[in-house]
Amino acid sequence: MTETEVGYHAIRNSVAFAEEPKLRCLQLTGSQAFDALDAVCPCDIFLQDGQMKHTLLLDDTGIPFADVYVCREGENAYLIGYGSSADEIANWITHHATDITDFSIVDLSESYDNLTIDGPYAWELCAEVFGPDILGLPYLGMLVLDAMFVFRAGRTGEYGYHLLVPTDQKDSWVENLLATGAAFEMARADESVRAQCVLENFFFDINREGQYHLTPLELQLQWRLSSQKNAYPGAEAIHTHRQSGWTRRLTCFTTPDPVNADAEITCEDEIVGHVLVAGYSPARGDYVGKALLRQPYWHAGLDAFQVGGIPLKTISAPAINNLSLKVSPYRHSFHTRGEDLI
Amino acid sequence: MRPELKEKIERRENTLNRVIELLISGLQLDRSYEELDPDTPLFGTGLGLDSVDAVEIVVALESEFGVSLDDGDSMFALRTINSLVDVVLHQSEDNFDDGN
Repeated sequence: MTETEVGYHAIRNSVAFAEEPKLRCLQLTGSQAFDALDAVCPCDIFLQDGQMKHTLLLDDTGIPFADVYVCREGENAYLIGYGSSADEIANWITHHATDITDFSIVDLSESYDNLTIDGPYAWELCAEVFGPDILGLPYLGMLVLDAMFVFRAGRTGEYGYHLLVPTDQKDSWVENLLATGAAFEMARADESVRAQCVLENFFFDINREGQYHLTPLELQLQWRLSSQKNAYPGAEAIHTHRQSGWTRRLTCFTTPDPVNADAEITCEDEIVGHVLVAGYSPARGDYVGKALLRQPYWHAGLDAFQVGGIPLKTISAPAINNLSLKVSPYRHSFHTRGEDLI
Repeated sequence: MRPELKEKIERRENTLNRVIELLISGLQLDRSYEELDPDTPLFGTGLGLDSVDAVEIVVALESEFGVSLDDGDSMFALRTINSLVDVVLHQSEDNFDDGN
């Protein structure tokens, strides 16, 4: 197997490890830290201690420029995710949180490094390396372990953890991970492998379809926006888009052969949309992608499309059934997986 | 548009509308019809539903569409709104093929 195949296999079947320098991690402190987040985030900021919520940061035209989680730990707020740089996000918050003064923003990446662990048995490895408290951490939960921050979230469809470890401790944690991870057949997964898993599970990728200037309505990401809130950057634009209606939607598809980004999609010789992202799916054995299709062709379950002679079928997302859905920390173990999952 | 494709799209659209209405009314979702995208995840992230809601959905699907989910199906069928629509369409096609 190539290194890419090994990394993919680890994410889907055991555990994979990655360092993600592009993951932005900001800490907001001060008595108005949550007021500042509330002023700029399109979701409701009602967070219990240790809770995370998945949302977006939107520009004034309602287009996402960052894919983020907002989190609460004690009196502090955290914002982690992908997209613009930490400085740009911090400046943008400060600019838009007008009249809110008692908060400050720290870019945690200046003193912490990120380790991302994904896979059906990520929970088991993390518990062995970082301590059993991780086992009790629910999806979209965060905790502080000594000097380390743990966020349970991922975009591969498998169990996923982002760990922020102090920079001066990183090497020893990586060494520990690699040593313990050997028994879990852990492998490193590079950015391209992770992007392919994101694609298979139809998670939003700010660096791929996020570059096409599409609204959350077109991206099928309205669940990231509050249905009640109407004061945040981009709110007016979102309201206008909703009022006028939208006629294109991101839709998951499969093809038997590779297709290129930006290729035209036809139906009965009429152009009905474009491919935005596509790639091979080892789990399926064919190609999966995201297309921008116009109404009424934007539905899943249609096999009437072509891309330059290659048949294209729209499907419901996600494109695969993840092993993690069948694996429970209460009943299973990587070491007995052969018997557990029969 | 060919009549068969038009019919297929209409069937999908009608089922999607009914499933969304079922979710809004059955679970008292604080969302309008237009805000529920077909590939919205139901649990965890997404709509943030829980295991009690899952039972409600299974019961509502059976009562509204005559669709039954066994334990093996449900973990995949309950992933998104669209995956619920797939199950409804698939089972209704099976029933049609069986002459039911």
